[in-house]
Amino acid sequence: MPAIKNASDLEALRKRLQTQRGTFRATLTLCGGTGCQASQSQAVIDAIKGELVRQGLENSIHVRVSGCHGFCEQGPIMVIEPGNIFYCHIIPDDAQEIVSKTICNGEIIERLLYTDPVSGNKIQTEAEIPFYRAQDRQLLSKNRFVNPCSIEDYIAIGGYSALAKVLAGMLPDAIIEEMKASGLRGRGGGGFYTGRKWADCRAAQGDEKYVICNADEGDPGAYMDRSILEGNPHLVLEGMMIGAFAIGAGQGAIYVRREYPLAVKHARIAVQQAREYGLLGENILGTDFSFKVEIARGGGAFVCGESTALMASLAGKVGEPRPKDVHTVEEGFMNKPTTLNNVETWANVPSIIHNGAAWFAAKGTKGSKGTKILALTGRVKNTGLIEVAMGTPLRTIVFDIGGGALDGKAVKAVQTGGPSGGCLPVSKFDLPVDFDAFAEAGSMVGSGGMVVMDESTCMVDVAKYFLTFLQDESCGKCVPCRLGIDRMLEIITDITNGKGRPEQIPLLKELAETVSETALCGLGKTAPNPVLSTLRYFSEEYDAHVNQKRCPAGVCKALITYTIDAQKCKGCGLCLKACPHGAIKGEKKQVHVIDTHLCHKCGICTDECNSQAITVN
Amino acid sequence: MKQYVTFTIDGAHVRAAKGASVLDVAIEYGVCIPHLCHVPYLSDIGACRLCIVEHIKDGRSKVTTSCTLHVQEGMVIRSNTDKIKRLRRNIAELLVAQAPNSRAIQDIAVRCGVKEVRYPFRNSNCVLCGRCVRACTEMWRARAIGFVGRGKDRHVDFPFGVRSDLCKHCGSCVMLCPMSITPCNGPMKTGEEYLCGKCESQLAITENLSDSCVWCELGKGFQCGRYQ
Amino acid sequence: MPPVMLESILDGRRSQPHQLIEVLQDVQEGLGYISEDSMRTVSKELGVPLMEVYRVANFYKAFSLKPRGKHVITICMGTACHVRGAHLLIDQVLGQLGLQPGSTTDDYLFTVERVNCLGACALGPVVVLDDKYHHHMTPGKLRKLIESVHKDDREETAYACD
Repeated sequence: MPAIKNASDLEALRKRLQTQRGTFRATLTLCGGTGCQASQSQAVIDAIKGELVRQGLENSIHVRVSGCHGFCEQGPIMVIEPGNIFYCHIIPDDAQEIVSKTICNGEIIERLLYTDPVSGNKIQTEAEIPFYRAQDRQLLSKNRFVNPCSIEDYIAIGGYSALAKVLAGMLPDAIIEEMKASGLRGRGGGGFYTGRKWADCRAAQGDEKYVICNADEGDPGAYMDRSILEGNPHLVLEGMMIGAFAIGAGQGAIYVRREYPLAVKHARIAVQQAREYGLLGENILGTDFSFKVEIARGGGAFVCGESTALMASLAGKVGEPRPKDVHTVEEGFMNKPTTLNNVETWANVPSIIHNGAAWFAAKGTKGSKGTKILALTGRVKNTGLIEVAMGTPLRTIVFDIGGGALDGKAVKAVQTGGPSGGCLPVSKFDLPVDFDAFAEAGSMVGSGGMVVMDESTCMVDVAKYFLTFLQDESCGKCVPCRLGIDRMLEIITDITNGKGRPEQIPLLKELAETVSETALCGLGKTAPNPVLSTLRYFSEEYDAHVNQKRCPAGVCKALITYTIDAQKCKGCGLCLKACPHGAIKGEKKQVHVIDTHLCHKCGICTDECNSQAITVN
Repeated sequence: MKQYVTFTIDGAHVRAAKGASVLDVAIEYGVCIPHLCHVPYLSDIGACRLCIVEHIKDGRSKVTTSCTLHVQEGMVIRSNTDKIKRLRRNIAELLVAQAPNSRAIQDIAVRCGVKEVRYPFRNSNCVLCGRCVRACTEMWRARAIGFVGRGKDRHVDFPFGVRSDLCKHCGSCVMLCPMSITPCNGPMKTGEEYLCGKCESQLAITENLSDSCVWCELGKGFQCGRYQ
Repeated sequence: MPPVMLESILDGRRSQPHQLIEVLQDVQEGLGYISEDSMRTVSKELGVPLMEVYRVANFYKAFSLKPRGKHVITICMGTACHVRGAHLLIDQVLGQLGLQPGSTTDDYLFTVERVNCLGACALGPVVVLDDKYHHHMTPGKLRKLIESVHKDDREETAYACD
């Protein structure tokens, strides 16, 4: 393959690739991201490829296996150009029909089209799907045009041209000014101004500097970074190289959590290909700039998403954070000046350099510029990854993009920002997606996780869930986090078990505030957020648990009883068979009964029952 | 040549060598900021969070541990505001609820103003202050013990849980351990734990004085910098 | 651990303390767990104090200090899976195999682990069985999945005995 020795080599290659890609009769993009892989998309991909060979079309039809498009629940998916035709829920047996009818004859197969859950209509093109239409997919849209394992795809769509522009004569200080002017803030949760971070690192003393990409996306319910790294790793690499040039670093690392094996694999392939093409290593594009990068895997620790813990882990140590009285831009990895940024932050850099800071800053609010990728999950009709301009109201996200409540249950809250964030009630749905607005309301934009909750979710249970998670992931070094979270969980467990006492509520609040002020690192400092925000907005649920010993949502096991309604029970025995604890007794065609002593209140029986005969009170 | 900086702590102007921590300087000047995991000749890790102070910068106050904060020219530190007192009291309350059977922990709790313990007592025999681990690692470089596990499971242990040849039986770990100083009336019965406060009663008479050192018994038995 | 396997893992990494986690991950993948012997060898070859190696092996969830079962069932307990009833799957496994997450059946056939988010949130609840992802899992589907593994295993043993 061609080694690119300078910027004009790159341009020439790009033009060559674009011309070549224009000769195809059609392009089929099939999603091979983790989500679709879980829906067995590989079998679909193999079937399509096999069918094309069988019909002798493998040279005129371009098949591209792309990364995640963000619409995982509809997978396996496929987009056909020309025509922008979108097919979803494809099975291997559909391959023959797709090739014969759609590819060869331009005929649309109705049953494979996407059905809008709100209107019930069939939608033909990807561009018309309401879920996509309401978004501003600056970053995510690129995934469709790139096979992550092909650097040539990336170059064909303009990849590495921002790096070329930078190396052609932009001064480091000018680059940093551009980043400052863009207003880009960290997309991993901290929301720190990227330009300022780069400026501080550039000013730090030291010859050896590092850039690190934080791909340890530990927030449960968040998978934006996975999609970018899996689907377009070169975008991240290019951003890192621009940053490295600006701050004066010659080495970098991408720290990926091990729970993302596909992201690790694609990042490794990307680095190897970039090396082969001369875009990594010594004298890149014929200039003095040299850069090398390593891919490191996490060991399975949420706390390693914290910058100092991550750097410790990179050095082969336990991931324990250190106090940040001296910042990592001065003393970071191996005590050298280090710029650590999140995957999405790095991914935004090339387009800012290419289109200019003003273009980026034209979107969003005063304090939060650009677009943000959010993971919309939970109890809504449309779930998946969405990218919206900062400033978009929550209401638009939950109801217009998300399609509103699932199963007709009323939406109650949105949990944003993962375990560090908080729950925002419906009354706050006019809030725009903005770092400061969310923080003021007691939550956080964080990494972008948004879990929608409805009336079947118990908010006290949500606080308990996050505290349990954080207790499991805490490194245990400092007293407020180790003992504070433990005691908060002890109180909340009492409350969910019906043993709560009224004086525990103000104690819980006081303890939560103490932990947030005194913990050593971000994990501990933000751990009380779920507790504080649910206390603030859902105090009536706490009140019901403590004073009435009742769980309004019907979730807390100690406060509910499962009973079989004798009027509705048909004696089919499905529940008896399904119960893993043998708590249901009954003869065939006779009313069944739940033994409350054996009942674990897991709810498996309710799922199985076809007569709605099981009630929870 | 040593470089010096001047900064203020609780309104008093203080001169200190560059590179010193705010806690070290404060103790030297008689401002006794409560601390547990700090030992003068070992590294400071900021784990117990008792030595917190307010660092006023650009009109904003940041709560940070004084043992990890290095002195800087013109710094403004407040070590005993109402906010700090409350936070410190809550942390000490967590500690004493976890390990009431230690005179040192009890003394610290009373010193920090804990009057009642609102959590059920647990009789833990380690508060994970890390003094033993740091002595073994930094002072003797034996590395015979270390912190193992995460979060609630974090505990001090030998490799594979068995004492190895790396341990030279020097006894430094026992000497530094706050748990090895048992309460005067001996170990408390489970379920009958209480907050003693008798040893600190001599501090009670100085409660209303501005924060200056009273050369307390706590410091004497507890490796306080003043007694070095 | 077969000396040959450990040798290939340590190749090119000797005396490089920062490679500790990568090395241990390879040991975990090769052996199925981190044995005391492998820890002692790694400590010597990488130049990392034994206490440090032991600490790192205990800190990260990726490492298991006890041998695991033949089939590893990983249940995702992320937020999105949780609100869709992932805890029902934990209950199912408890009832069907008597296992709490983090433990192994006596016959070393199954190990159940929980993980705090696999990043396939839109398809929750998610269960991974021997590196294969299963989505939209319900207790009923999980029961059938475990039963099918039992059946395949019994057939395998039958073949082996023939």
